[in-house]
Amino acid sequence: MPSRDELRQYYEIGGELAPAVHQHQDWPYEVPHPRYVAYMAPPHDVGGQADAPVRYEEKEEELWELNTYVTCEVLGWKGVWNSEERRRRGNNDLGLSLYYGLPYYGRWIWSAARMLVDKNHVSLTELLDKIAEVRSRYGKQ
Amino acid sequence: MESNDAKTVPARFNVGDRVRVRDLPNLFYTRTQMYVRGVSGTIAARTYEDLIPEDEAWNRDEAPREQYYIVRFRQKDLWEDYPFDNDTLQTEFPDRWLEPVSG
Repeated sequence: MPSRDELRQYYEIGGELAPAVHQHQDWPYEVPHPRYVAYMAPPHDVGGQADAPVRYEEKEEELWELNTYVTCEVLGWKGVWNSEERRRRGNNDLGLSLYYGLPYYGRWIWSAARMLVDKNHVSLTELLDKIAEVRSRYGKQ
Repeated sequence: MESNDAKTVPARFNVGDRVRVRDLPNLFYTRTQMYVRGVSGTIAARTYEDLIPEDEAWNRDEAPREQYYIVRFRQKDLWEDYPFDNDTLQTEFPDRWLEPVSG
């Protein structure tokens, strides 16, 4: 169980990830058209976005990243989904904040889990129980 | 996903044809970037026939296949303040995202 301090921190991070609209609005009944267009763009359409320079770094994949890749591809070979557009659509369905906030393969594994639940290959309660079991096996909270 | 009896939409364009990317709205999913919508370019290559992303993303595996094309744009047509006249950008689209440019 998270401490009350940790809990407060989780909610604060959530609030910070909400769209920062620097204009007064009572409630977004009316979204200005340019903002609407920007909202509707799939998050992976990043070409043309302004960004700060990023340091180029050579890096090997982590084991969990390789495992994620193989899991997604095997689900494709098994015909459970296609690991290209269906997986990529799932990545985009995270929404802007989480799409940009998670690591590349974090988006993949989220999409795979979501698809397996959507298609009733595993129930959400089964998945939660399994994650809890693995956590306790590794001594994590 | 390969299926021999899947229909293929007749390809409308050839290498060298001038085409414009359609300005369809964004809704849920696409691979077609915003910065190419409504911009004209030249067909640089015909690549392969396949499902379009908007169908494949929802597992509409029986949907008709379409010809994919690599389209070449002038960078200056995409980004007004791009500094070099001769630079180009190539990206790929299925048939339905393109419309012919006359003349």
